[in-house]
Amino acid sequence: MTEGPLLVTREAVLEVKGLRVDFHTYAGEVKALNGVELTVEKGEILGLVGESGCGKSVTALAIAGLLPQNAEVVSGEILLEGRDLLRLTKEELRLTRLGEIAIVFQDPATYLNPVISIGAQITEILTSDRKRFQAELVGAGLKELQDRTEGKPLSPALEKEGRRLRSIEPSSRLRRGEVKRLAKLLALSYLRMVKLPDPARVFKMYPFELSGGMRQRAIIAMALARRPKLLLADEITTALDVTVQAQILRLLKELKERIDASVILITHDLAVVAELCDRAAVMYAGNIVEVAEVTELFANPLHPYTKGLLEAIPRPDARAELKSITGSVPDLIFPPTGCRFHPRCPFAFERCPKVDPPLVEVSPGHKVACLLYGG
Amino acid sequence: MVFVLVGVSLIVFYLGRGLLPPESALAPYITPRMDDATKLQLARSLGVATNSCPSWSALAAHQVECLVPVWGQYLSWIRNVLAGNWGYSLLPGVAGTQTTWDVFWLRFPYTAELAVAGTILTALVAIPLGIISATRNNKLPDHVSRFISLGGYSVPAFWFGLLLQLLFVLYLRVGGNALLPSNGVLDTSCALCLASPGQVTAYTGTPILDALLSLNPVYFWDSLVALFLPTLTLAITSIGALTRILRSSMMEVLRQDYILLARSKGLKERVVIYRHALKNAVLPSITITGLLFALLLGGVVIVEVVFSWPGVGAASVVASTVLDVNFLELYVLVTAFIIVVTNLLVDIVYAKLDPRIRY
Amino acid sequence: MTSETSPKGERRSSRGFRREARYGLHLLRKNPIVLLGSIVALASIVLSLSSGLFVDPNSWKTTHIAVRLCWNNPALNWNLRNVYDCSGPTTYALGTDSYGRDVLRMIILAIPLDLRVALEIVLSAVLIGTVFGGIAGYAGGSLDELILRLTDIFLAVPSLLLAIVLATILGRTLENLTLSVLITWWPTYVRLMRSQVLTEKEKPYVEALRAVGAGRVRILFRHIVPNSIYPIVVQGTLDIGSVILTFSALTFIGFSPSPLIPELGNLVNQGIQFVFTAPWLIIFPGLTIFVVSLGFNLLGDGVRDIFDPRLRR
Repeated sequence: MTEGPLLVTREAVLEVKGLRVDFHTYAGEVKALNGVELTVEKGEILGLVGESGCGKSVTALAIAGLLPQNAEVVSGEILLEGRDLLRLTKEELRLTRLGEIAIVFQDPATYLNPVISIGAQITEILTSDRKRFQAELVGAGLKELQDRTEGKPLSPALEKEGRRLRSIEPSSRLRRGEVKRLAKLLALSYLRMVKLPDPARVFKMYPFELSGGMRQRAIIAMALARRPKLLLADEITTALDVTVQAQILRLLKELKERIDASVILITHDLAVVAELCDRAAVMYAGNIVEVAEVTELFANPLHPYTKGLLEAIPRPDARAELKSITGSVPDLIFPPTGCRFHPRCPFAFERCPKVDPPLVEVSPGHKVACLLYGG
Repeated sequence: MVFVLVGVSLIVFYLGRGLLPPESALAPYITPRMDDATKLQLARSLGVATNSCPSWSALAAHQVECLVPVWGQYLSWIRNVLAGNWGYSLLPGVAGTQTTWDVFWLRFPYTAELAVAGTILTALVAIPLGIISATRNNKLPDHVSRFISLGGYSVPAFWFGLLLQLLFVLYLRVGGNALLPSNGVLDTSCALCLASPGQVTAYTGTPILDALLSLNPVYFWDSLVALFLPTLTLAITSIGALTRILRSSMMEVLRQDYILLARSKGLKERVVIYRHALKNAVLPSITITGLLFALLLGGVVIVEVVFSWPGVGAASVVASTVLDVNFLELYVLVTAFIIVVTNLLVDIVYAKLDPRIRY
Repeated sequence: MTSETSPKGERRSSRGFRREARYGLHLLRKNPIVLLGSIVALASIVLSLSSGLFVDPNSWKTTHIAVRLCWNNPALNWNLRNVYDCSGPTTYALGTDSYGRDVLRMIILAIPLDLRVALEIVLSAVLIGTVFGGIAGYAGGSLDELILRLTDIFLAVPSLLLAIVLATILGRTLENLTLSVLITWWPTYVRLMRSQVLTEKEKPYVEALRAVGAGRVRILFRHIVPNSIYPIVVQGTLDIGSVILTFSALTFIGFSPSPLIPELGNLVNQGIQFVFTAPWLIIFPGLTIFVVSLGFNLLGDGVRDIFDPRLRR
């Protein structure tokens, strides 16, 4: 625990410790994650930044328990509110995905089932687990009653309905027809939450009838429906137009407040990080190389890679040449020894190829993995 | 659709009348005692000889003034056909009547029973096999299923049928008795169907349905038993083909991004496979179904020959030896009609399942 | 590996071919069953070409009635009542047929015949399909419609049925039987080629070629067709097995010109009457059909796996 007038220590929703993941491919073993260390505090938006191929998506999939068949978690822990997700059975993992972790992917065009309507793709979540969702379904029914009457005196029939809904025990079963109706109401409310125009119509539509932005909102609605504690947003705006991007990101920020979730926002766009995130983690070739609060990170980047990233952002006012980081992303089948960044690092010295630098806290809330700063 | 049928009829007719000498068209009608004048009369009425033909021998010698051009023959044939007159057949029919129509429809129910049973068996076996194969990819169930499907696809149906008969009649014996009935002669045929034990009224002509409708359980069971081996033989090829296609299409679908999203929603695996994956995977298989049905209708011929099944397929083989063109024409056209209608139905079903298709 | 830039970009450079071949070998090694099938297929081809060395090609014409339908191979005991034991010095590995000829020799003679017929049919179908399918796909319009409707007509009749009708009318010679099966087989290839060409012709390189002024025929046959050919090759390899099945089914039903002709279906046909006294007549020729067809199907699978871009990791 560190002191400081500006820091409020919040409890961690997610802690990833020493996560190593390998992929078995016919070309060789890809050492995708090399000891990832990550913490997400309750209620924050953590940005996860890095170039394509650095392992951001793999981290997200590992957290959600959705790694493909040829992936192997070699070592590490993923603690969701203290529980190690890597030790859960498949069924338990599925239940965490149902109720605690939600992930939204990049390209809404391919991530929606083309032959099932949008509404059905949301209601199937709500009707899949009676225990988990029954209270919310009943709540939706009550709310609908309220909306209908809007302060006017209740007719006896509606009163009876209200009493019946309120008296439903958590353990009792609702009829199938009732469940369907309430699920539809609840789904419509989520569609409204993501600001989709004319939710009743969208409910019946199929994915190919919607635009990219609308589809992404629908997918976000599917994520919200599970009231997750942790939301993983993997490059959710990369496939969309710039204007739509801004809308979606703004929506995400609002929603986070409303449903009280913590978010990992994965992106390669530093501007998005600056705009939305509370803290940011920089990732390179399977390692977290720097973590800090956003303002601190931009004002005072420590890791040479972070510095390179920030310098590479073109500024319209400056007349200087475009700067880039020399070299290219390493081959993860035969990664560089020691610090994986050392072949491209302008400050590398003779210890760098020998030692894999650990992530150390250099100043309150600011951690770096670089031998220049100890380790 | 009409175009296709007309086209088929054209081809079949041209083959039957155009490539064969005109006398062969008269074969079903000629009795040994007919004199030449009657024969010529017959030829004229059938549209095979012109009115200006002087004599039968002139026709037999193919003299020019006797020959009606194929187009003319076709037109008169079409006129007859549309009126329901398909001429006479050289095959034996019911109680001495020999119209092609009667001969055909007497036998058709047996073939229909076989074809329908084959289709049902194919679906029942191929769908689960394909799904299991795709979901347990590269494990034992997958290997077994691939073996079955590849074997089924490569095995010659006639050999398979004969082998089955050998096996069941000779080698698989329960308590000293053969598993399936035979009289020491290879006769797992539908002799059971034709010798009707108990009360069976022929409502439809198909043994199984008639047994059901007549409420005769013994006969029903016998017909079912007799149906077993032929259906298996008929279905084996299409089981092989359909399993392969379903497997590859299912594997393709399971790789898709939306399956990942479905799993990420925390849905049960069973739901992911049956609601999300299967619905997408059957679409390409449905288009194949039309082709497979055509395969089935062709394979019926072999199965009927091997199992002595009294259907139109076996009859067509006999018809071809005696050059009974009328029968063959009717057979081909009925089959083409069925296939065209099936393809149409398949298209409709496909459009219903895939919301992206709108007509 | 030297890198070559070939002047005509559409032809595959030899470097690419070597790479394909190596990848193909890698796949074969990974999938032993496909390898087995390919070996079987190749073995049958080699056998066909060299059968004259083992067996006198005219030996099917002479009959030995005295030793008909007998079995004296001690390796297999049929446990049947009426099996006739051959007298005489020669041991027939697979028994004799109803004309007293050695079944094994007949099979060895039959394989080349069946394979030759199958290859003739498949190659002709591929040729016809390429030409007409290419024209239909590229020309479009009413010509396309016409060809398409023509294939519809042929596809509306089951292939065996049509082959029976054709064989009936045309007469029972081997050439006519081949022709009958060919006529039922070509529509599939026309459709396949047509759909490939339809996709290809939308690609940018076609537009580029047109802009340069290349003629339509040239574009079609020198550029589009070579790029569309792979599914056709795959289908052709797979079809060799199916053609053998159809053709032998035809002769089995009885369309062979003479019961003496060494053809696999024909041999099984002999056996129908003697199922209980000489089952080897049915079993072994049929088994041969099965194995050869299986081999070519596996080979076709392997060829498809090599060319399927999605299976590459």
